[in-house]
This record gives sequence, C-alpha cells and structure tokens, in this order.
Amino acid sequence: MEEEIRRLRMPLSEGDALSLRAGDMVLLDGEITITAGLPTHHRIVEVAEGRREAPRDLHGGSLFHLGSYSRETEGGGFEVLYMNPTTSTRFNPLMPGLIRHFGLRAVGGKGGLDAACVAALREVGGVYLSFVGGGAPLLSDAIRAVVSVDWNDLVSHYRLVTLRVEELGPLTVGIDAHGNSLYGSLSETAAARMPEIMAGLARARAEAEAEAEGSA
Amino acid sequence: MPITYDMMKRATAQLYEWSLRKVPDDTLDALRRAREVETNEVARRTLGILLRSAEMAETQDRLVCSDSGVPNYVIGIGTGVPLEGDIKRAVSDGFDELVATTNPPLLKHVTNPLTNERSYRGKEMPLVTWDLIDGVDYADITCQPKALGSGRWAAMEIFTFPTLEMIERYVMECVLKAGSQHCPPVNIGVGIGGTFDYCAKLAARATLRQYGTRNPEPILAAMEERLLAAVNATGFGPMGTGGDTTALGVHVEYAAGHGFTPVAVAFNCWINRRTRARLYGDGRLERIE
Repeated sequence: MEEEIRRLRMPLSEGDALSLRAGDMVLLDGEITITAGLPTHHRIVEVAEGRREAPRDLHGGSLFHLGSYSRETEGGGFEVLYMNPTTSTRFNPLMPGLIRHFGLRAVGGKGGLDAACVAALREVGGVYLSFVGGGAPLLSDAIRAVVSVDWNDLVSHYRLVTLRVEELGPLTVGIDAHGNSLYGSLSETAAARMPEIMAGLARARAEAEAEAEGSA
Repeated sequence: MPITYDMMKRATAQLYEWSLRKVPDDTLDALRRAREVETNEVARRTLGILLRSAEMAETQDRLVCSDSGVPNYVIGIGTGVPLEGDIKRAVSDGFDELVATTNPPLLKHVTNPLTNERSYRGKEMPLVTWDLIDGVDYADITCQPKALGSGRWAAMEIFTFPTLEMIERYVMECVLKAGSQHCPPVNIGVGIGGTFDYCAKLAARATLRQYGTRNPEPILAAMEERLLAAVNATGFGPMGTGGDTTALGVHVEYAAGHGFTPVAVAFNCWINRRTRARLYGDGRLERIE
C-alpha cells in the first residue's frame, strides 16, 4: 500500500521546512503566491531594492513558478480558471537574491533551480517543490479562493497571484533546506554514467552490425 | 468536391482544441507500461499523477497544460482533391476565431521575439509546414502545439561524414543538457542529413511518430532501440526528479545529403501533444488521433 502523503500548512513554518528531505512528497494547504513572468521577477527585485511598492508582503512566504489564467468577475473580484507550473531555471539569476531578501520558505515550479539557489535556500531554511507539468486539472482543483491578483497590467500568466489552496499536489521536494538537490545529484550521476552509457551504445552497435552481416 | 476555406478553417481550429485536451492513446499506453516497470517509487507515483491529469482533462473537457503553446501544423494536401478559396488564410483565421470563442480561454503565448511581448497573433503565425500527398483525396492535418517547456531544448549541429557513434554521442549530449527540465518522460525526435532547414523538419517529423513504431531502415531501427535504453540509463526520470523513465521513445528520421550532415534533436514533453485528422472534400473530418 502507498504511504500517506504528508500535508503541510502554508506559509511553511521553519520547522516544517527543515523537516523535509529531497524526494519527499507533500500536499499543501493554505496561502501560496505564484507567477510565471520574468518581468514580474524584475518587479519583485525592484521591491527588494526599495524602488517599487510591494503589492503584498512576500516575507517568509512562498513564490512558485506557476502561470494562471485570471479574469475579473462581475463583482469586481477575480477568478482563476486554471494554473500550471513553468520552467524555473530561467529565473536562476534572480532567485538567490529574492530567496535571501524575503526569506522565502518555499519556492517551486518545474525543472529545478541551480546551485546558487540551493545555497540560498540552505541559508534561509527554504525548499524547492516540484509540480507536475501538464497537471492543470489536478492542480487547479486545489484552488479554494483567490486572495489577490496584482500587477494586472501584465498578461495573465505574469501576474502576481495569491491563492488559498487545499491539498495542492502531490508535489515532490526537489531541493531541501539542507543543501540536497535532486536536480544537482541527478545531473552529476548522469554525467558520471556517460562513459558507461557510451560503452553500452558501442556494444549494441557492434551487435547490430554483426547481425546485419549475418543476415546479408 | 473541393476542400473549401470554411472547411479548412473549422478543421484546423477543431484539431487545436482537441490537442489541448487529449493525450494521444499510444502515449497513455506507454505511460501505463512505464509505470508498471518503473523501480523508483517517487517516479511511479509521478507517472500515476500524470495519468490522472490526462484522464481528468479528457473526461472533464479541460486543458491538460495551461501552456497551450503556439499553433503549429503539418498539412499534407492530397493531389486528388481540389481546393477552393484561400486555404492558407483559413488556418490563421481559424486560430483567430478559436482564440475568440474557446472555453476556457487560452493564455497569450504567441511571442514577438524582438520585444518579448506576448499576444494571440504574430508574424507567420500559425506555423504551417505544407506538403503534398500523391494519389489521395483528402488533406492530412496534424496539429502539434509547441511550447517553451520542451521546445527550448531542441538543438542541431552540423557534422562532416559523421560516424554513428558521433551522432549518438551528440544526441546524448542534448539529453544531458535538457536534464530534468523538458517535462519528461519525453518523446525524442532525431533528424539526420538533408540540409540545415530540412534536418530540423526531419527531427520534428520524428516526434510525430507513434510510440512502438520503428524506422523501416534497419540501421535506424537498431539505433532507436539502443538510444532509448541509453537515455533511460541517465536516471532523470518522470518530471526530472529521478527514475528509470526519462523517455518513452526515440524516433529517428533521415534524408540523403552531401557529407555535411546536420543532426537535429527535438523533444516533446510527456503530453506529446499531437492530433491528426483527414479532411475530405465532402466536409468529413475523420479523426485519426
């Protein structure tokens, strides 16, 4: 039988963040903040540098690389029709600064972040959570309420959106707060296996050639 | 009876809508088989989540991925069917109409590469590869929306008189570079030969092949099989968080060339978006996948 997946309350407490290990699977309940936009990240950097007013306080919270379709409702509020992760690595240059400045306990998206981000997460006690790409129906069903939609001058997926979610996931801890990164270790393992993999290809080529000669 | 502007407009828009909701059956089968043999527990669970997402999208008429990509078509016109009206314009008009009417609405992904501004329209959109098919009385239409997630990892290099070993090493270098990031398990298309532009088309065409098919050329059939094993030995796994299933298939296509031999590598994410149908002159749209 499959093990029960652990549920975590957002914003993540320091204790919960530190208790996670790379490879754990989790479900989230509570408030999360998302965006899929590079221009949005530039604005958050401006907030960190005191050059722009923050639409909401990000300190100690989460920032996930998820794009969403939001639109205004008749009552003047917002609804979010669907959401899904985007590739995190394109935010690599900006994330260490944001993780440190805001003390982000949880970041995430898909594909992971680089070694500089792993170091920053370790420093502040934060984790990176991997969302499944192409998981829009599943992930969107976890939305319980739209808390805020900011920077509406941007295209929908670039807006800064805060949601209340229930049982969001399952998500995989890709990078933990102790310096362990599945992405880093898998890349290293794959690179280390390359000589063996190439040797395997050479053997298979020789077999295929021998077979072709045999049948000729 | 001719294929008309209206028929082509409706058909191409319809295929786009389908492709966003339905993971192809060969892909679902390959994902299920992978889940049975996967030895990594997180990977097995991840494959289960992907399958659940695909099922929800199909049965609840929802988008599998929020990134609907850019409209990308391969259209082969049968030489046995006449055409009537502006068939090329029909494809772009069809996309405009789809954007205005589809539910849920799509995000703006068409990007002006000079300004990075995003909208629903752009130069040369939709992207269409036109072809002719001798002796048939229909248009064979494939819609393959492409997005950044897997699209950005495609690569090409031009070799001179490469050995098979050099070609395979290059494919593996591309796989290592993409690593965890292209929403694996992926469909890998490899093009060998032709010219710079032709080779890229070959790789794209290879990503349209169904899982389980092999190139009829024995040298390539064997290459496809050993490359798949090699890619899965890397260990990146589903969604790149580790496991035995990094690719569900490697498909290689080739064309004769001139000693300078381009090798192109393209990836489709696990959804493997692809819808195909035949459009006949009497207006019938026969869905193939």
